[in-house]
Amino acid sequence: MDTLVARYSRPAYQQENQFDDIEEYDYAADSVSGPSLKFAMPPVAHPSSWLRAATDDRSNPHCPIKIAHGTTTLAFRFQGGIIVATDSRATAGNWIASQTVKKVIEINSDLLGTMAGGAADCQYWLAWLGMQCRLHELRHKRRISVAAASKILANLVYQYKGMGLSMGTMCAGVTKEEGPALYYIDSDGTRLAGNLFCVGSGQTFAYGVLDAEYRYDLTVEEALELGSRSILAATHRDAYSGGFINLYHVKESGWEKHGFTDTNPVFWKTKLEKAEFSNVTSDFSEEV
Amino acid sequence: MSMFSQNPLMNGPNYSFSETPRVGAPEGAREHRFDPYTDNGGSTLAIAGADFTIMAGDTRLTSGYSINSRFHRKVFKIGGTTTDQHDAHLVLSVVGFAADGEALMERVDAMCKMYRYRHGRPISVKACAQRLSTILYNKRFFPYYAYAILGGLDEEGKGAVYSYDPVGSYEREQCRAGGAAASLIMPFLDNQVNFKNQFIPGSGEGHALQERERRPLTRQEVEVLVKDAFDGAVERHIEVGDGLQMMVITNKGIEEIILPLKRD
Amino acid sequence: MDHRPQAWGRPRDDVYGAYDGSYLNHGGPKNATQSPVVTGTSVIALKFKDGVVMAADNLASYGSLARFTDVKRLHTFHNTTILGYGGDVSDMQFLSRLILQIELHQDYELEQLPDIKAQRGQEVMQANNLFTFLKKQMYHCRNHFDPLWNQILIAGFDDERKPFLSSVDLRGTSFSAPSLATGFGAALAQPIMRKYADTEEQAAKLTREEAVEIVKECMKVLFYRDARSLDRYSIAVVTKDGIDLKENEQLEKQSWAFAERIKGYGTQTV
Repeated sequence: MDTLVARYSRPAYQQENQFDDIEEYDYAADSVSGPSLKFAMPPVAHPSSWLRAATDDRSNPHCPIKIAHGTTTLAFRFQGGIIVATDSRATAGNWIASQTVKKVIEINSDLLGTMAGGAADCQYWLAWLGMQCRLHELRHKRRISVAAASKILANLVYQYKGMGLSMGTMCAGVTKEEGPALYYIDSDGTRLAGNLFCVGSGQTFAYGVLDAEYRYDLTVEEALELGSRSILAATHRDAYSGGFINLYHVKESGWEKHGFTDTNPVFWKTKLEKAEFSNVTSDFSEEV
Repeated sequence: MSMFSQNPLMNGPNYSFSETPRVGAPEGAREHRFDPYTDNGGSTLAIAGADFTIMAGDTRLTSGYSINSRFHRKVFKIGGTTTDQHDAHLVLSVVGFAADGEALMERVDAMCKMYRYRHGRPISVKACAQRLSTILYNKRFFPYYAYAILGGLDEEGKGAVYSYDPVGSYEREQCRAGGAAASLIMPFLDNQVNFKNQFIPGSGEGHALQERERRPLTRQEVEVLVKDAFDGAVERHIEVGDGLQMMVITNKGIEEIILPLKRD
Repeated sequence: MDHRPQAWGRPRDDVYGAYDGSYLNHGGPKNATQSPVVTGTSVIALKFKDGVVMAADNLASYGSLARFTDVKRLHTFHNTTILGYGGDVSDMQFLSRLILQIELHQDYELEQLPDIKAQRGQEVMQANNLFTFLKKQMYHCRNHFDPLWNQILIAGFDDERKPFLSSVDLRGTSFSAPSLATGFGAALAQPIMRKYADTEEQAAKLTREEAVEIVKECMKVLFYRDARSLDRYSIAVVTKDGIDLKENEQLEKQSWAFAERIKGYGTQTV
């Protein structure tokens, strides 16, 4: 009530300057600032409920703002380093928003992050993490450990817990002190170290293949093939996953890209040459 | 069926500890029921070529079933030195809620001008694309309801198209359609720009069929493609029509072309 | 965040509470805290060769009650710009006060600074400038979820001295066209006006007399069918010579003969 009274009891000459309190725009900061922690908030008592009403495409397929979602990502540790593999599909409701999303985010030349959940959340915060990692290097004159990097991210998302962020990410890197190090971080604030993670709507399908074939002493070729095959299984069974298989190998010298491969030819090759996926017919001529 | 219900008591995941997080949704009264968003319809389209980019949008502005205006721009030149943008080198298209889109456009334009002032040279499309992403994400919790596409020429002079979701996830692409008729135009573009599902006739049977080789399209081809895409969308979507606004970005500058579309 | 594959990455009900779509509701009976109370109905405007005509009736309704019958909803600015307000009357009065402040402030400044006055001519702010201001004001208020519940038409001349007509609403959505109408007018008057001025070129051929005649005809149609309208209205014409505002016009030559032929809806035998 006081604010109401204050608003309407200002002297008339002041009412002209309506935008004095404008939250929107800091011209001076604009061209220098990178990812920042200043966010515009809806002026309501429960911003997260409001945001959910506007953006949760699963509870309400007709919600006005559809945020890109849906994924299968995986990463696992093995003797030769870490394999990181993802699909490349982004969905907004039933609409496939893109088939060419780069879900492996190159935080810097040594560290990789993966993207599952809100695409923008992952892109923004992993870019922000890259900035923090670089600042760490400048301050301490040495590379940040994967443990530290992942903890910076986990602490950050924990601050925003309950506000509607959606991300499930893995941080992968190989350092001298840690060897191959793999961490899972999600927007609940969970941070876990582990040998093997699959994240996203197709996680269960990827786990099925990965768990069955995984050994720590896989060769690099075997490991790359297993990563690719696990994603392939997920794109086959999860409608929200598909597109291309994005494959990376992380070593102590940095990460190495192993292609962005269309799933469709890989699928038919796997089926026809290795006799897998026998549930699918390859014979179009006869009725099955 | 209950397996897929969202009832946490029945089967959903629950916290194992007793102190569950604060429940966000309040009981009973809430102070505001004003919906700040509306959808003004329309569609946008962008295609990158070898040495050009074409950005396009229809010029209809609707609210509900009524047509508010038959000539309302949603493709804007940005980053010029003056308000008339005669020396602009970037183009931004916005579709969704027009007021949000225009607010976003003005903000990005101001940012580009600020960059020019500080650095003494125009902003690169790559830098602008990154900045646009953070501008959108800064409203992560109160999003702009706008699907933005940014077009320009990259450092090598190649056409560049960056597409965005409302909260700032972005990707560089060959082509992208946005807005009401995106679902009608995008499959057409996949087929005609990226030659998806096109095979060389007689190159084999079944799996042996070879895909048609991809080649960059010429400016003339793309202009025709854009018009065809919109003519198709107008035919099948009520919120699209009236006029087609096309911006052709080349190293000689930006050329604006206005063509008529069906007005029914 | 939900971890089950079928809802992966979405908000969990036990964390965020059940999905509450009511945040998105347009209008509806529960729309109690933020809604218009005393309202004005349609405003219509049409461009012609050398200016713009605008009209709105003089009624302010309280729900279905015709509460105030002499409320003027066309306001002027600097004798160069007309503003027509649809929607909430209190918000109209707030905005009108705001705009009066600007007008007075500018007049005062111009008197103080004769150089600027000589340089820019008498009017500093053209219709398009005032429109930009209003657009920002409306969008600003919507960003604070405290909208000014109006749709406003602004008519006058732009910087290039061409006729200018634009609209802005409570969410800051703005657009311009050769003819504009708010509320019921969008459904009833727009088709009539578009018949004569569908494009800028067509509007540029209309004479003042024709435009006034079309607008008066539209006001009549609106009075026939819009239950919240009145036969007493204001009409304003803005040209380079200034504004000609008439605030107490009466609808003429009404013919309710068409009412006899209305049989209602559906199949009828009688």
